[in-house]
Amino acid sequence: MSGPTRDPRRADLDRRVLDWLQEPDFRSDDARFDALARDLFAFQYEHCAAYGAFCRGRGHTPETLRDWREIPAVPTGAFKEMALHSFPAEREIKCFRTSGTSTTTPGTLHLDTLELYEASLLPTFRRYLLPDLAPHARLPIRVLAPSADEAPTSSLSHMFAIAIREFGNEHSGFDVSGGELRSDGLCAALEGRAAEGEAIALCGTAFAFVHLLDDLEQRRVQYRLPDGSRLMECGGFKGRSREIPRPELYARLEDALGIPIEHMLNQYGMTELGSQFYDSVLVQPEELRRKLGPPWVRVALVDPNSGAPAAHGDTGQIVIYDLANTGSVFAIQTADLGRAIDDGFEVLGREPGAEARGCSIAADAMLGGRAR
Amino acid sequence: MNGTRIGEHLAALRESGALLRRRPVEATLDVLADVLDGWRDPESSWRRALEAELPEATGFSPEVVREGLRLGLEPWSGAKLRELVARELAEPKDLARNDEFVSGFDTTAVVLAGSIPMPTLLALIAPLALHSPVLAKTSSHDPVTARHVARSLAESDPLLGRCIACVEFPSHASDCVDALLTADCVVAYGSDETMAAVRSRIPPSRRLVEYGHRLSVAVVDPTQLSDAELGDAAGRLALDIAVWDQLGCLSPIAAFVIDPGGNAVTRFAERIADSLADLAVRLPRGRTDPAASALASHERAEAEMRAAAGARVVVYTGQAGGWSVIAESDATARPAPLHRFIRIQPVLNRDALPAALLPLSRHLAAVGLAGFGSATRKTARALAQLGASRICAVGSMQSPPLAWRHDNRGVFPPLARLAGLEDPP
Repeated sequence: MSGPTRDPRRADLDRRVLDWLQEPDFRSDDARFDALARDLFAFQYEHCAAYGAFCRGRGHTPETLRDWREIPAVPTGAFKEMALHSFPAEREIKCFRTSGTSTTTPGTLHLDTLELYEASLLPTFRRYLLPDLAPHARLPIRVLAPSADEAPTSSLSHMFAIAIREFGNEHSGFDVSGGELRSDGLCAALEGRAAEGEAIALCGTAFAFVHLLDDLEQRRVQYRLPDGSRLMECGGFKGRSREIPRPELYARLEDALGIPIEHMLNQYGMTELGSQFYDSVLVQPEELRRKLGPPWVRVALVDPNSGAPAAHGDTGQIVIYDLANTGSVFAIQTADLGRAIDDGFEVLGREPGAEARGCSIAADAMLGGRAR
Repeated sequence: MNGTRIGEHLAALRESGALLRRRPVEATLDVLADVLDGWRDPESSWRRALEAELPEATGFSPEVVREGLRLGLEPWSGAKLRELVARELAEPKDLARNDEFVSGFDTTAVVLAGSIPMPTLLALIAPLALHSPVLAKTSSHDPVTARHVARSLAESDPLLGRCIACVEFPSHASDCVDALLTADCVVAYGSDETMAAVRSRIPPSRRLVEYGHRLSVAVVDPTQLSDAELGDAAGRLALDIAVWDQLGCLSPIAAFVIDPGGNAVTRFAERIADSLADLAVRLPRGRTDPAASALASHERAEAEMRAAAGARVVVYTGQAGGWSVIAESDATARPAPLHRFIRIQPVLNRDALPAALLPLSRHLAAVGLAGFGSATRKTARALAQLGASRICAVGSMQSPPLAWRHDNRGVFPPLARLAGLEDPP
């Protein structure tokens, strides 16, 4: 690789984080998280100039830090405005972009390594979507999203490409190309697996599943996919299809595919993060559905007006601290709302079709939304 | 409520409408003018009752409700109503002018939205001026205003009272929606999504009058204002922002400031921040939902980040995020969290204004002006070309005239059927 030698502090941080990511027991460790969070904050404070200035503006420095929850979080919107990285620009090997609209610029995550991204992705994907997959076993993974070749800056496509590489068998593949769902190929794959009695994992964006439902309805086709099949949707409707509330979407998918709702889950992630959260239904089927993530990520729910922690169970703004984000900024403020449930949380979305309180056009509606 | 019940309402309204059309339009206009004057009077029992109930129903503070109604109703008088009918339609005596005739529809359904009471009042009165009875679906965010308006009509004229009915049902109640939309004319307020849903259920042959969501902005030229005048303009603009907590389509979401020297934006932003701080006491902000607060917090942090990265951006915030002013370094269109969140954005000179406002033009309603002096008319023409339907002084954005051409249309023509007699054989 060209460019200057890797910063030894960063290399050390990456190694310490990777050690955790590669441990097999998925163990939570408050002291370890705290130590890594402090060191990572100090490093990013120093090496990402805009972030350092932002923190100083808020009166927080590595020297004054009492608790990792005080670490200032960067809003996701800032990734649209500036290059936020803690490494020299010439070391960049990859970038992921959010899907901007005709009137918005996309947010960009700059990466100088994919090692942490993939090391965080794989054990989490396996734990929450494929908890029953035997060691070294593989299954068909059909993805309702474009391939990584077609969408090289999509973190979603990259994630699925890595997941197929590690867990998928020869019947896996991508079923969106040229911006369209390729239903013929997907239906043939579904029919083939159904005939063989082989459980399948279907993954994709919510809007792609809406298109699939429309297509199956038009074909007057209903599947009974084999037991053990599962479905993971990653959200994302805005401007891509009509919006359907999640319970209705899942109920219709259950009818159309024969996958029980208890085997359907939502993945909550964003381009700006190296790690993702998943519904708990497959790993803890008897407990309340909630979002769970890996132990190297923490979520804080805060009062958006005061910035103080929201009381347990109260609605709060979701702030994510992801140690896998060593190359950019690890504290991210989302514009999403959530509520704590036991050891996890739920994301509170605006109901599709909910009426605005005023007659002005609110928020980013006029500019178009963001998606992964 | 169900579709059958709504059908019964429409049938009863048709019967009452037939009775109404037997009397001169002028007599109805007299009643409507008195009703409007009654609403305009801050001491009237109708006004007091609405002021008492709106805060709880809508989430606005009592002070904002009082000030919003004062500013909004002050220009709306019975005399203005008569003038408007005469100007837009015909002689009020018989809704005819020479060989041109005007008539209303047998029934008009009004789908209300949002929590600002002013559009509700006019939306319910206007069809009645054309002798078209009204069936109103109340807004879930304001279930009270329509009922108070109906009561004021019934108290003033029992027959007019029988020509208006209010119904409440959730937007997803398909049988109710379908029944409501069988009215001869449908007036719908709401978001673009609501408009699309309503449009898809009405045959093209039926009259549909759509009022989608809109936004407003201010344009200020400090180069032509003394320091005192600039402070005055900031104070007036802050009032436009605070009234209805910036949720109305006439509430400015951004102020574009002519700033050739590069320091006018910050100077004006400071003054706006001072004024919003004062107004936070005099006109306290009402309820905000967590999603709105989260968006505002996100946008403030995003602006802080841009400042940290070296952009000339300054963030001013009230206690607990009660108001926010962002002095921006460019005129880029950015999200508008509303609830007293204003961006002050630089424009190099007056000629650059149309380009700066272009991204907003599809939704543009009003533009508040300050500092344009003799260039006001020329500026107004350029803004009208962009799509603005109101150009007024800052400080009066929340006081539209009764004749405001909402969505670039008149008040009555969209609700009317027009006919002409040509050279009789």
